[in-house]
Amino acid sequence: MRNSLFIRLALGIWFWLVVLFLFTPLFVVVLFSFNTTEISVLPMRGYTLDWYAKLFQNDQVGDALFNSLIVAVMTVMIAVPLGVAFAVGIARRRGALSKVLLAFAAAPMIMPRLIIGVGLLTMIDTIGLRLSLWTVLIGHTLIGIPYVVLIVNARLASFDHSLEEAARDLGAGFTTVLWTVTLPLLRPAIIGASLIAFTESFDDPVISFFTIGVENTLPILLWGLLRHGITPEVNALASVTLLISILTALAAEVVLRLNK
Amino acid sequence: MNTGRERLILLTPGTFWLMVFFLAPLFVLFIYSFWVVENYRIVVDPGLRNYTKIISGEIYYGVAIRTIRIALVVTVLSLLISYPVAYYLARKVRRFRFTLLMLIIMPLWISFLVRTFAWALVLGRNGVINQALQGIGLTDEPLEWLLYSEFAVTIALIHIYMPFMVLPIYAVLERFDGTLLEAARDMGASKLRAFLTVTLPLSMPGVIAGTIFVFVPAIGAYVTPELIGGTDGMMFGNLIAQQFGATFEYPFGSALTVAMIAFVATIISIGLRYGRLGRT
Repeated sequence: MRNSLFIRLALGIWFWLVVLFLFTPLFVVVLFSFNTTEISVLPMRGYTLDWYAKLFQNDQVGDALFNSLIVAVMTVMIAVPLGVAFAVGIARRRGALSKVLLAFAAAPMIMPRLIIGVGLLTMIDTIGLRLSLWTVLIGHTLIGIPYVVLIVNARLASFDHSLEEAARDLGAGFTTVLWTVTLPLLRPAIIGASLIAFTESFDDPVISFFTIGVENTLPILLWGLLRHGITPEVNALASVTLLISILTALAAEVVLRLNK
Repeated sequence: MNTGRERLILLTPGTFWLMVFFLAPLFVLFIYSFWVVENYRIVVDPGLRNYTKIISGEIYYGVAIRTIRIALVVTVLSLLISYPVAYYLARKVRRFRFTLLMLIIMPLWISFLVRTFAWALVLGRNGVINQALQGIGLTDEPLEWLLYSEFAVTIALIHIYMPFMVLPIYAVLERFDGTLLEAARDMGASKLRAFLTVTLPLSMPGVIAGTIFVFVPAIGAYVTPELIGGTDGMMFGNLIAQQFGATFEYPFGSALTVAMIAFVATIISIGLRYGRLGRT
């Protein structure tokens, strides 16, 4: 018995060490964003919110934030309908074809984003299109769709299809069943998937880097600033994006868990 | 209950979208990989020159080896770090299990640009670690190899992708049927032996899934080596990105990309086959 207590204790300590490893670097970023000195060096000289104030006065940051939000919202608006329809389409009759289709829709998730990015860039160049936020949007839908399909598909696996059948038996048509039975039942999964597609778009620097035109998104701006060196302003900007992604994803988790 | 026609209506838009914007670009890259650039213009003169260039060029070879080495080290260390974490969460805690799991998942939500650059603050010349080491008198001068090195890339990639290893292992261990373990114990197996002969083999599907989820993105890493790798930590992804940036070598870059896809596809198919064997 003492032995098993020791194992439990050792595992517990290991767990908290890993949590420390995961959070310390992020904590350092946030900490330095409050530092009064220009250079990010310990010990802290004093605490200030000046860098955040500076950030909000910076037009570049405002524009980039606006662009990022627009692209992320539009990513959701495209990826969610396509992904939900796809998941509902493969839901019934789970055969070999459904498995292949599911793997096909999930494929962009495992494909390195660099490859998605350079592939789109090359195709866009070949066609002769101009790079813009629209091309970024197309790239971001590719990372959104797999999440939507997988989340909705998982929900449909434990789905009570008898409700749909009952509606059909009572004479409801395909679209009526979809709008009045299937989609309302899928609502939590759809909301959760939307929020995840949103953060995935909002946080992406890689696909954006290859498909963006003259505009900036927040990660692209941050990346550009990082190349010139780490300033407290960069730390503040990183802390802001950190906060936005955590809040969005937290909402997603809560919605997905509460409605399980 | 969905009829064939209805399924078609539901599946067509998504399939079309992925074919046009995901598959078609990959196909375009494949075609480009057989062309060449002369005088800053792409010349359609199909051949295998780009591929022979990759095989004969020592730089590409060296970077490829380093990329595989980094990805392997990242995967193995992630596995060693993650298994006890997943085991603890799935088998040793009941209350607060969800909250504790959240602590591991939460970093995944944060932009990996931010997670990478955080390591620059920790590992830099005047970073937290160097200051601590000098502060307690272990070193007189800052350790230069901490940042802009293969070491920096490795540790940051572990930090970024490790949760992907915890999750599938946790999922398998959580659903795990405890009666098998009890049977093994009843038959006189020691705790360690029961773990090695029952728990570990049964968790293999999770281990294999986690290995793919960590190894594949590590092979394709680009932002992390770009930001904190320096020349010593340059990876295959940086090599590819260069061809599509200033040097405008799309065809050669395409060949490098095709090589990476082929490698990744091989790894995944081996993993899937192995994973299926593990289940039966």
